[in-house]
Amino acid sequence: SVAPSALAALNRVRCQIFQTAYNPTSIRTGAKYLRRRLRGPSMVKYYPPYEALSIAKIMKQYPEWDIVDEAEQQRLRDIEDKKKRGKGAPKKAKARG
Amino acid sequence: MPNARVLRDIKARQGVLQNELLRRAYLYVARDQRQPPQVRHQAQLQLNTFGKYTRPTTVKNRCIESGRGRGIMSEFGLCRFQFRLKALNGELPGVRKASW
Repeated sequence: SVAPSALAALNRVRCQIFQTAYNPTSIRTGAKYLRRRLRGPSMVKYYPPYEALSIAKIMKQYPEWDIVDEAEQQRLRDIEDKKKRGKGAPKKAKARG
Repeated sequence: MPNARVLRDIKARQGVLQNELLRRAYLYVARDQRQPPQVRHQAQLQLNTFGKYTRPTTVKNRCIESGRGRGIMSEFGLCRFQFRLKALNGELPGVRKASW
């Protein structure tokens, strides 16, 4: 009924009026890569900040609070027990040459 | 001190963040059929010159506790063993043993 040339002209004017992308031949423009959201910021937030807050830092900053690091004390106690049993760390080897 | 692999992954993520826009621009030119083939080819060659710590494919979700690369559940960022330890301890909200 309507000539295809008229339809094509209508499409062109329509895109001009409404400010949409005009692509009558459906050629690949690469616009889909521009449309994708950026992933960088979300990627960087994956790991929690390394050593942002540790007991050692608080102990150094507020020495008057007398904080005791339980994990560290337990570790030292374990080392003492091992030494009593004769299972302490061996002496460092002196490298010759 | 996190794992050496975790440090590498962190470096890759930061590199990706810095270069993402540039890579996106080159990719757009390389994939645009309206551009002359020489321009597209040049853009693709530029894309190939990026180092490994700028490519998003090098980024891998690792366990945030142990640094394990496999068996990661992305909802928690934990490997399967750390997930089990924390879930049984009750440190994961809303996670409980399944039975049905």
